[in-house]
Amino acid sequence: MSAKVKTMDRKGASFQERLYLIEIFKGMATTFGHFLRNLLDNKKLYVRHYPEVQPEIPVRWRGRHRLTTHADGTVKCVACFMCQTNCPANCIIIEAGERLDGKTEKMPVKFNIDLLECIYCGYCVEACPLDAIRMDTGIFSVTDNNRESFVLSLPELLATPGAFSEEDYKKGGA
Amino acid sequence: MADTINLFVNGVEVEVEAGKNLIDAIGAVGIEIPHLCYHPALGADGNCRMCLVGIEDGRPPLVPACKTPAQAGMKVLLDAAHIKKIQRDVMELELINHPTDCPICDQAGECKLQDYYMTYGRPESRMTVPQVQKSKKLDFGCGVVHDQERCVTCGRCVRFCREITKTGELGIINRTDAARVNIFPGRPLNNRYALNVVDLCPVGAMTSRDFRFKQRVWFLKKAPGICHGCAKGCNITIEHNREKYQDDLIYRFRPRLNLQVNGYFMCDAGRLSYRQENEGRLLEARLNSQIRPLEDVLAAYNQEIERAEKIAILLSPNCSLEQMVAVKALATKLQASLSGFSAGYIQQGDGDGFLIEDDKSANRAGLTLLGIDCTQEHFEKAVQETQLLINFNNDLSRSYAEHELKKLLKDTKVIFATSHDDSLATMADIAIPVAASSEYAGSLINCNNILQTFTGAVSKNHKPADIGELAAKLGSPLQNRAEQFAELRIYLSVLKDFEADTVPAEGLNLNDSEAANVTA
Repeated sequence: MSAKVKTMDRKGASFQERLYLIEIFKGMATTFGHFLRNLLDNKKLYVRHYPEVQPEIPVRWRGRHRLTTHADGTVKCVACFMCQTNCPANCIIIEAGERLDGKTEKMPVKFNIDLLECIYCGYCVEACPLDAIRMDTGIFSVTDNNRESFVLSLPELLATPGAFSEEDYKKGGA
Repeated sequence: MADTINLFVNGVEVEVEAGKNLIDAIGAVGIEIPHLCYHPALGADGNCRMCLVGIEDGRPPLVPACKTPAQAGMKVLLDAAHIKKIQRDVMELELINHPTDCPICDQAGECKLQDYYMTYGRPESRMTVPQVQKSKKLDFGCGVVHDQERCVTCGRCVRFCREITKTGELGIINRTDAARVNIFPGRPLNNRYALNVVDLCPVGAMTSRDFRFKQRVWFLKKAPGICHGCAKGCNITIEHNREKYQDDLIYRFRPRLNLQVNGYFMCDAGRLSYRQENEGRLLEARLNSQIRPLEDVLAAYNQEIERAEKIAILLSPNCSLEQMVAVKALATKLQASLSGFSAGYIQQGDGDGFLIEDDKSANRAGLTLLGIDCTQEHFEKAVQETQLLINFNNDLSRSYAEHELKKLLKDTKVIFATSHDDSLATMADIAIPVAASSEYAGSLINCNNILQTFTGAVSKNHKPADIGELAAKLGSPLQNRAEQFAELRIYLSVLKDFEADTVPAEGLNLNDSEAANVTA
């Protein structure tokens, strides 16, 4: 079988192009053209004015995690370890303990998610049999200046509210 | 090899052992018949109906496999439509009142009900009436927690308490869907084997308070081991796991089948002895109570050896045979007097003739085999004559009260190779960490003269040397396990046919061989 050969024209071989300076000025004209246009009127700018203008987060966006609660504010998670078992990044560390509020028998006493190791794949949300973990906080930017503060603990995960209404979240295909 | 017979399973001829019931006979060749209530140690009960199989051209055509002896020429049907329907219907029946709380159930992952649901049919519930509510989280005593809703009333636990322990604490009360397992009022489980019902329970109705919520079972790594709790040497499965950023920890011991030693069971004390492997360990070498690198401590040891005119060495009766020969070779080299004194390990009258022995050490028979003097007079005379005692993990606090021990070791420097940071390690002039029994490989001889080998299961972060390796570092001529095992052949000629890793899994019964009587 003979290979299909396509001969490409080499650019930059003409005399004008080989003079070099003319092409430089043509390029600069384009650059300064954009610069002046955006300086006078930045409405047509192709990039977002982050962080003044925040992006619109769709419902199905996988943002930072949170743990959901029952209507009375108690944690839904029963520490079944499904999320930890499924986590491909191995970033969830749970410790289970006795639950004494009469809801079930088991609850997490420690629930840590290491955001530096998390790959935001959403398998934990898929695996959860009780809809106890969600990634619907809409938080996409997590910044800090030390490693320890990237490990989310149980109170932090419970304190973050969801960014969407329950109907929108359900409609989002979750 | 027992007699074999030929029979047909789903039209395929298989050769099975004679004299067994269908579940065991066919199960041995790898064809599983689902069953909940049958257990080889407890016999057939025939109440769960999960093992119903068809017998082609037979009368009756349907039989419970647990109650049916395998016979030559039998045509067993397992995959016929009507058998599958029975299995599916039994599953549906069992699950009518099951709470399906697998997410919080410790049995999830090793649950027969879960496995059979996935394998045999996945029936949807057709119930329109509410489920029967029963009691959950009942404390049955001895660390057994019972959940009546999860129970399938197979009666294994009831039969265990009646037939094996003969204590009969459990019973099934009421009938039909109100039937439940319970204790008699005010009379909880009270026997030394109670936690075996947790293993026997095919579902999550019986769970252990000790293991409760500690780990999901699918995280656990399973390794075979030997219990060092007493001279019986029960075969166990060491279930351990290294969690992220943590040390390798043991979460439970479970009995491992060995009909020659312990059968299917083990005692509660041995089962909970896993804690000693995890807790209170000596992690770093110490010289005069200061933590020092091992090299410095070994240098100090060498100075002590030079200085001392006479040396006494004490061995623990829990050491493996390999460790014993290594230390014995060290003692010969140092011209030290070697003792195995460990009277405190024997608790007179504690044994029960079943799986618990008076002697709480794993390898006293090994000391006898190697001809090591275990008498108190010999040990005390040796200590009084010498200025240096090297103690290999022998817990002297079992044999002496603290003031007696202080008096005895008043003028003696003590080098203590120990797995645990106990009061003896604090008293010792030099303390060197060594591996505990779950971390090294070795062989033991149990009280019935059965030699068993085991391999290291746990790999700790700080990886202490085992006593055999340490003895080599301290100057023993036997450098590794192969050399130690070769040395053992002098004492046990039966080992000439074996290497350390080819000793049969069920152990070598030394009573059967003439070599049992050969001693040094």
